[in-house]
Amino acid sequence: MMIEPITVGLIGIGVLAVLVVIGMQVAYAGALVGLMGIVVTIGARRVRDTGDFWDILDKGWQPGLLNAGTIPFSELAHYSLSVLPMFILIGYMAFHARLTQGAFYCMRMWFGHLPGGLAIATVFATAAFAAVSGASTATAAVFSRIAIPEMLRYGYPAGFSAGVVAAGGTLASLIPPSGILVIYAIIVEESVGKLLMAGFIPGIISAIIYAGSIMVRVKLNPALAGDPIGKVTMGERVASLGQMWGILFVVAIIMGGVYSGIMTPTESGAIGAFVVFMLALKNGMNKSQFLAGLAESAKTAVMIITIIWGILILVRFLGFSDLPNVIKDQITSLGWNRYWILLIILLMYAVLGMFMDAIGMLLLTLPLVQPLVIALGFDPIWFGIIVVKMVEICLITPPIGLNCFVVAGVRPDIPLGSIFKGIWWFFICDVLTVALFVAFPNIVLWLPNNMLGK
Amino acid sequence: MVMPVSDTPFAALDRGYHAIEKALNYVAAAFLFSLMLLACAEVFMRKFFNSPIHGQADLVEIMIPTMGFFGLAYCQRLAGHVRMELLIHRLKGRALWIFEFCGNFATILIVTVMIFGTSQNFWNAWTLGDSSMDAEIPVWPPKLIIVLGFCLLLGRCLIAFVGYVRLIRHPDAEPIGVPISPTVADVAESEAEVARDAIQDEIDETRIKGSDK
Repeated sequence: MMIEPITVGLIGIGVLAVLVVIGMQVAYAGALVGLMGIVVTIGARRVRDTGDFWDILDKGWQPGLLNAGTIPFSELAHYSLSVLPMFILIGYMAFHARLTQGAFYCMRMWFGHLPGGLAIATVFATAAFAAVSGASTATAAVFSRIAIPEMLRYGYPAGFSAGVVAAGGTLASLIPPSGILVIYAIIVEESVGKLLMAGFIPGIISAIIYAGSIMVRVKLNPALAGDPIGKVTMGERVASLGQMWGILFVVAIIMGGVYSGIMTPTESGAIGAFVVFMLALKNGMNKSQFLAGLAESAKTAVMIITIIWGILILVRFLGFSDLPNVIKDQITSLGWNRYWILLIILLMYAVLGMFMDAIGMLLLTLPLVQPLVIALGFDPIWFGIIVVKMVEICLITPPIGLNCFVVAGVRPDIPLGSIFKGIWWFFICDVLTVALFVAFPNIVLWLPNNMLGK
Repeated sequence: MVMPVSDTPFAALDRGYHAIEKALNYVAAAFLFSLMLLACAEVFMRKFFNSPIHGQADLVEIMIPTMGFFGLAYCQRLAGHVRMELLIHRLKGRALWIFEFCGNFATILIVTVMIFGTSQNFWNAWTLGDSSMDAEIPVWPPKLIIVLGFCLLLGRCLIAFVGYVRLIRHPDAEPIGVPISPTVADVAESEAEVARDAIQDEIDETRIKGSDK
């Protein structure tokens, strides 16, 4: 009996699921299943009909091993990957560059007079900080320290204030520099620059929708808004922009560099990191903070690099087994409306996100989901933004809702329950935002399609 | 007299090994920082002197796997790799250690096999004299680092193997030599810690500058 590659593929996916559930690291589980799968599919091809399993292993072992052994070098030594460590470095250095305070101060000047003004200012300040940080949890942690005390002082309810910060933190995943968008680009082999550009407008729109929802809620329930802040003149507002120059400069470098094509994303990231590093030095970052930040950056970079090579071994095996194509053909042959299939995929992410963190979830599913999505006629860049938006939703929904935990970690006086209660309006906003991007894909695609650098 | 656990030879081995891992993680960090400087220098030279650095792109490419494997064992020891903790965090005592043992054992298998796979790859590069496309930088050093990174990871996993066996036998003993995977609350706490460290002075300033109440 001949072993069909597709059978091997299905068994592999089953074994992978078991290994991941029992808590094996995603990178090693992917590599183990991938390597064994490569060995068996190559072996089965060589042995043909004899079908003895040991024979298959014997014939497939050497070539399979050699094949998988090339991946850690050949798949990692890619220029496009080098942008990731730069973005990670920017994120860690931004902590010490004191960009948060300026952003909050400036946004407070501009938006503080609106109903729920401090909450709105917090949302826009997190969006601004997101432009120098790709990490949602870090953004939530910083603003818990800065914005929550201020909101509480003006009489905003604690759960509401905490919810604003937890939700605002998620904007970092979309607004460049965003680590998760780069990882998506690498796994599905799309342009890193285009994905980074694509995240910008949806990030801003998410922030505007959050801000709008705050205004609506305050209108419905004036008790939510605290006391108004004092009067601010236009002159003071304009002057407050000076507090933002660090962030604006980094935005100009990263967005400008990538959009115009005069720099690669890596180069834009490197110069951005250098500027943030200099700002941190100027603001008194000491040696131990610098070394700790650098060691943490390295650890995060290693974690991402490891999961990438691990999953790419799995991806090669899936390619050999033809499973992604078979799944794609089976589902497209059902003849369902493609938006129903998209809805099912998005619901799957919403459920998976309850059990797994974003990187693991994306890397485990995209090799199978991506070909299907393309076959359904959706744009891969657009889908990246939609998926990352789903990841953001998982950051604020129970049971994991990491951002809510982070806020509770910084503010142990605010109970987790009240933070989750404060968040559900933002959850509805996110669902509406995803629906908006599905209905009008050009919101996402306009900027990447018009960028000068390709 | 019972020896305190931190004085046992096994604990000392774990500590000594971790010191090496930590040092190598700093090497990875140094590569990361150099990557930034190199990319900045390239832009500077290209834009202002119209003379791009020869082989810069090749160097950047080679630095990624190098960085990734210098820090591999360190990240493993600190439970830094992504995994699904839903089940693990619900288990306690012996059951927990048995599951961890199984995961670690499977990791030992794949790492061992990868050592063979990647060392063949290194050997080919060494004997054939492979080099990068543009600048013709020899690629055997990063390939060797990959093999060594896997070997160091294997050592770490073997220490954890012993650690898990010990914990399966004495589930209530203090865990030594095994990565303790942080819960969501732990992650939140460490994020909060970093923010506290970095933001403390800022908050005082915000109060003075930003408030008129």
